[in-house]
Amino acid sequence: MIQLSEVHKSFTVKDRKTRLTKRIDAVRGISLEVRPGEIYGLLGPNGAGKSTTLRMIAGLMEPDTGTIHVCGHETRQRPEAVRGCLGYLSTDMGVYARFTPRELLRIFGEFQDVEPKVAERRGMHLLDKLQLADFADVRMEGFSSGQKQKVSIARALLHDPKVVIFDEPTTGLDVLTAKTVLDLLRIMREEGRTVIVSTHVMPMVEDICDRVGIIFDGKLHGDAPPRDLLQSRRAKNLDEVFFQLAAESEENH
Amino acid sequence: MRGALLIAKKEFLELSKDRKTMFFAFVLPFLIYPAIFGMIARMEKRDEAKNRNKASRIYLTDPSDVLAPALKAQPLLFELVPRPEGSLDQAIRDQKLELALEVAPSAAAALQKQETFTLAATMDESERASGVALKRLKDTLKEQEKSWVQGRLHTLGASPQLAEPLNLEVRNAADASLQMGKIAGRLLPYLLMIMMYAGSMQHGIYATAGEKERQTLLSLMATRLPRNQIILGKLIYIFSIGVISALLNLLSMALSIPFIGGGSHSSMQAVAALANPLTLGLTFLIMVPLGLFFANFILLMGIQARNTIEAGSAIAPGIFLVMFLGMFTMAPGVDKMSFLSYVPVVNVCLALRKLFSQQPNWGEYAIAFAMTVGLATLMTWISTRILNREKALFKA
Repeated sequence: MIQLSEVHKSFTVKDRKTRLTKRIDAVRGISLEVRPGEIYGLLGPNGAGKSTTLRMIAGLMEPDTGTIHVCGHETRQRPEAVRGCLGYLSTDMGVYARFTPRELLRIFGEFQDVEPKVAERRGMHLLDKLQLADFADVRMEGFSSGQKQKVSIARALLHDPKVVIFDEPTTGLDVLTAKTVLDLLRIMREEGRTVIVSTHVMPMVEDICDRVGIIFDGKLHGDAPPRDLLQSRRAKNLDEVFFQLAAESEENH
Repeated sequence: MRGALLIAKKEFLELSKDRKTMFFAFVLPFLIYPAIFGMIARMEKRDEAKNRNKASRIYLTDPSDVLAPALKAQPLLFELVPRPEGSLDQAIRDQKLELALEVAPSAAAALQKQETFTLAATMDESERASGVALKRLKDTLKEQEKSWVQGRLHTLGASPQLAEPLNLEVRNAADASLQMGKIAGRLLPYLLMIMMYAGSMQHGIYATAGEKERQTLLSLMATRLPRNQIILGKLIYIFSIGVISALLNLLSMALSIPFIGGGSHSSMQAVAALANPLTLGLTFLIMVPLGLFFANFILLMGIQARNTIEAGSAIAPGIFLVMFLGMFTMAPGVDKMSFLSYVPVVNVCLALRKLFSQQPNWGEYAIAFAMTVGLATLMTWISTRILNREKALFKA
């Protein structure tokens, strides 16, 4: 279970030209709830505040105000417990290229307090599911971006997390690999995990997400099942909803 | 602490996967020092033998033939050559001859009148062969002078022993180990500091800014390991690699010393001086906080940098500071300035210098140790606090 209540986050940036510092509100009062067995799609343009929101949920960043609860733990008070029950994957995450997938999973198993034998078994099972078992003992130096992404997915799921956060999981992947990832997300929903996916791929959202929230200028819009969102907005697809929200956001500015 | 050790283990495992780096860091020192030391020793010996067996070429201007017989009498030491073309100074610089001697034209008359005459010698101080020629000349002249003085005393009816009021016998109280200890005392602290800093520098950059650049730091932070444990783990790695690197280089140097002495008794004594367990133990003891201090600096700069280039630019100048401090402590007389025992880093160098010179000053050692421990602790506290901040880790 994930619960966000009135979460705010801002950053201070320095303008190189004027030499003045200014405050940027990345997230402005977001509240949402994602239940077990549900896939929540978080949409929004680049720089809208999606990644910051996901990083705060993962306990990697602290909200300025508001609270976030993951698996019953408050992220500010118990960030380690939150990260222990959560699997986080982001596009800006690399893999340790000198290791083989098996070695990497063994090491991260230790980090996540998973018994070595359990880590080995679960790791190999995940690699098998992701069609990467044949490469388990090959150094990742020569891996394609898709193969690296698959290893990252296995790393994120190694400790059998109840909550899964995938930040743009199919970016840079070919159609086949993307399908493997989507199938995996469906399996996780069936297993009763709480899943948040951030993406730009609208058909994917319509296909697998139970509910959708769209972030514009740090604010959450929508927060409803895709079909409801399309009906309320009288749109043919989510792309149209996206453009409508973008136009509204422009007007508000 | 378990988390920190796991991170350090991960770093070492990652290092072990890079065979080239492993070779350069851990194997090369054991090949390069014996090779360098052996080559230097061989060249020295060759040069020495060449100078010893070769007569020094001298151009002599001696109109009254006062000095020529003495030089001609020793053909193995001196070869009188005709005047070369051009200036004598240039001929010496071009190594066409080692020495040019000009005896005053009135030398024979001066000798007869029991007066002093002048002998002008031109040499090239930057050339070893020229120095050897001058030394040979001085030794020959000493005997010649003695015989002239004794002749004068004989004429005056005085005892020839008047020419030799004392016979100086020199004995060296310092054995090879003490001599080596003093040289090592000057050099070792300097080398230790540089090796420790340089050894941990590249690995530190790889483990900090490198992780950011390769986008792997976020995957570490997404685990259940507390952030300060990740930082501490990286600190342990950077510190360990610096100490290991310094120790390996030193060990290799110590093992290579016999290559200079050709395995002679004195060279083995010198090795024994360096391998004294108490000296080595105390050196290691003080190296720990110093290494920790360096590692903290590298960690602090590395993890705040956006990429490896930025980290390198921030960390590399530190080596010049370390070199400067190390060279400063090698200067003569610095070890007598007691206030320097309160200057961080310099005090470690000085304490080690005295330790290796077999003149330990326990008070100064204790001050240096306590100050360095304090400094390292303070730096560890500062770096874990600064790096625990979100801003430091997410700077991109």
